[in-house]
Amino acid sequence: MSRVWTLLLLKHGAVIVAGVAVGALYGYPIHGLLLALACLVVWHLFNLHRLERWLQEPKRVMPPGGDGVWARVFARMQFLTDRARLARRRFRSLVKELRASTKAFPDGGIILNDRCEIINFNKAARTLLGLKKKADRGKRIDNLIRNPSFVEYLESDQRKRRESVEIHAPGTGDKWLSCRLIPYGPDQSLLLIRDITQTVRMEAMRRDFVANASHELRSPLTVIAGYLGALAEDENAPATWAQPITEMQEQADRMSRLVRDLLELSRLECGVSSAMDQAVDIAAMLASAKKEILAENESTKRIDIEVTSDARVLGEESEIQSVVSNLVSNAVRYTPADGSIVIRWDVDDAGGHLSVADTGIGIAEDDIPRVTERFFRADPGRARQQGGTGLGLAIVKYALKRHDASLEIRSKLGEGSSFICHFSPRRLAASSQKIE
Amino acid sequence: MESDQYGMHISRKFNDELETLRNDVLRMGGLVEQHLERAIEAIIAGDSEMGLSVASEDYKINELEVSIDEECSRILATRSPAAADLRLIVAVIKTITDLERIGDEAQRIGNLAAQLATDIRPHDHYSELKILAEHVQSMLHDSLDVFSRLDTKDALVIVEEDKLVDEEYDQITRQCISLMMEDTRTIRRFMDMSWVARSLERIGDHAQNIAEYVIYMVHGRDIRHVRLEEIKKEIGAT
Repeated sequence: MSRVWTLLLLKHGAVIVAGVAVGALYGYPIHGLLLALACLVVWHLFNLHRLERWLQEPKRVMPPGGDGVWARVFARMQFLTDRARLARRRFRSLVKELRASTKAFPDGGIILNDRCEIINFNKAARTLLGLKKKADRGKRIDNLIRNPSFVEYLESDQRKRRESVEIHAPGTGDKWLSCRLIPYGPDQSLLLIRDITQTVRMEAMRRDFVANASHELRSPLTVIAGYLGALAEDENAPATWAQPITEMQEQADRMSRLVRDLLELSRLECGVSSAMDQAVDIAAMLASAKKEILAENESTKRIDIEVTSDARVLGEESEIQSVVSNLVSNAVRYTPADGSIVIRWDVDDAGGHLSVADTGIGIAEDDIPRVTERFFRADPGRARQQGGTGLGLAIVKYALKRHDASLEIRSKLGEGSSFICHFSPRRLAASSQKIE
Repeated sequence: MESDQYGMHISRKFNDELETLRNDVLRMGGLVEQHLERAIEAIIAGDSEMGLSVASEDYKINELEVSIDEECSRILATRSPAAADLRLIVAVIKTITDLERIGDEAQRIGNLAAQLATDIRPHDHYSELKILAEHVQSMLHDSLDVFSRLDTKDALVIVEEDKLVDEEYDQITRQCISLMMEDTRTIRRFMDMSWVARSLERIGDHAQNIAEYVIYMVHGRDIRHVRLEEIKKEIGAT
């Protein structure tokens, strides 16, 4: 037993003994005892009352002093409340800091629950999307941002979801927003919203410039090629000019191919995913691509086609055609005469896979990520002689992007390369299925 | 008013049905908004391809209207809703009709855009149309926001705003007439232009209707053809 308690018990004993003694002095020891007990009860009640009042209004009433065990109770109580107050103050300032930092955040952030209902959002989200501070909590986000591509993005399966979706800001105004959904915790997700107006505008300017420039180049080229054709057939032309004219014709040809590819690229680049209204028969397309190549080149290269599925791809036929022809002509271009090319089309649970594998010169590992860049040359000297424009793989990349497909490149220098296009299952249709 | 007023039925499934119904209407609204936006862009940018694609995709809106309509009749038949629920269903049936009409107007604007794109473009790139279009677009957007928030104050703002749209429409019509008188060769183009303005003005009316249905849905008061001051007083009082 601690000292305070011993003291308390001693004090109580002393009061009782004193009461009984004083009572006995007057001949009423029982009354004396009762009086002493009543005094003790009053003392305790008084302290309890002080404690209660202080607890009710800790700010206005001074903490009681008290003595004995009550002093200890009061002190302990004071300590606990002070500590709690301090913790609360700290917590409040932390929340304030966090609020201030999310407020300063230039990107909009919205916390959603698993039913896509808004739990909270910051100031940027409010200004970017026109949300209302109090009224919109608990509302479903797709009721307020009704853009169909956003709703589709929101509802898509988490594993197959694209990284982000670009939408026009709701209401009027020419703002572009990039929205990204990041799931966290058991059933919440964070919707990040970024203003990408500037980027979109710059991109559009660049695209317009390339498209306009290529378009402007086309007409002078046609004139040059026309006159060169006439000159080549002119019998009166001096014989010494024959060689230069052929060379000029070749270069003009190359240039017009370049312009054509640039124009196609700038058309594909607009990034919108293409319609799904045509069912493209890949097997038939591969067969005709092979025929075309064989008709053009009289080489001994072997071209094999392995088709294990008659599934069709939903999309734009001309664009898939350009994917196939670019991949196949690349393979032919970079494969030596004794090499072979295998074109494969098969479908599994992950989707459709179109692969073009060759035993050509291959690509160095460092160059693989860069080959789809415009005008990228692994070996600047060689590729130009082969007759490519340097835009083929860029066209393939963008055409596939418009079909929600991805391009995988596997290659080893000197052993050959394979280009595999992965189409997602929702872009596939069985051959028997009717397309509306 | 909270949307939670539809979350208080004993039958959980009924709650879900009403919630889904509202979501479907707003989804249809989103599609209509997108169509309108693209149709207007087709006019301003002179993009005939985009105009035609808007016109050809109107069937999507029609399909949604039919399916929502069916769902409404089904709920009416199986749940026999009362009071606020009944008002919701009635408002939904009316709202989708207006949305579908807006879709039709967007389709018409798309077709006109394709026609106008083949003609000479005016120097101002249809700037008056653009202003009117932006106004109407924001009205439609706000009316759908009001529908999702059940915010009757904003609904009244939209109802008032329609007057401005009508004024802008009058201005464009007057301008078209005077330009046609100046040069008779441009009559065809300005006729088309005034048709576009007409469609936009109609869309403004439909957006106003949607805002009115929201007031009906929340307060149970039909405010069509009632003076605005009276409505304000009444709704302010409740």
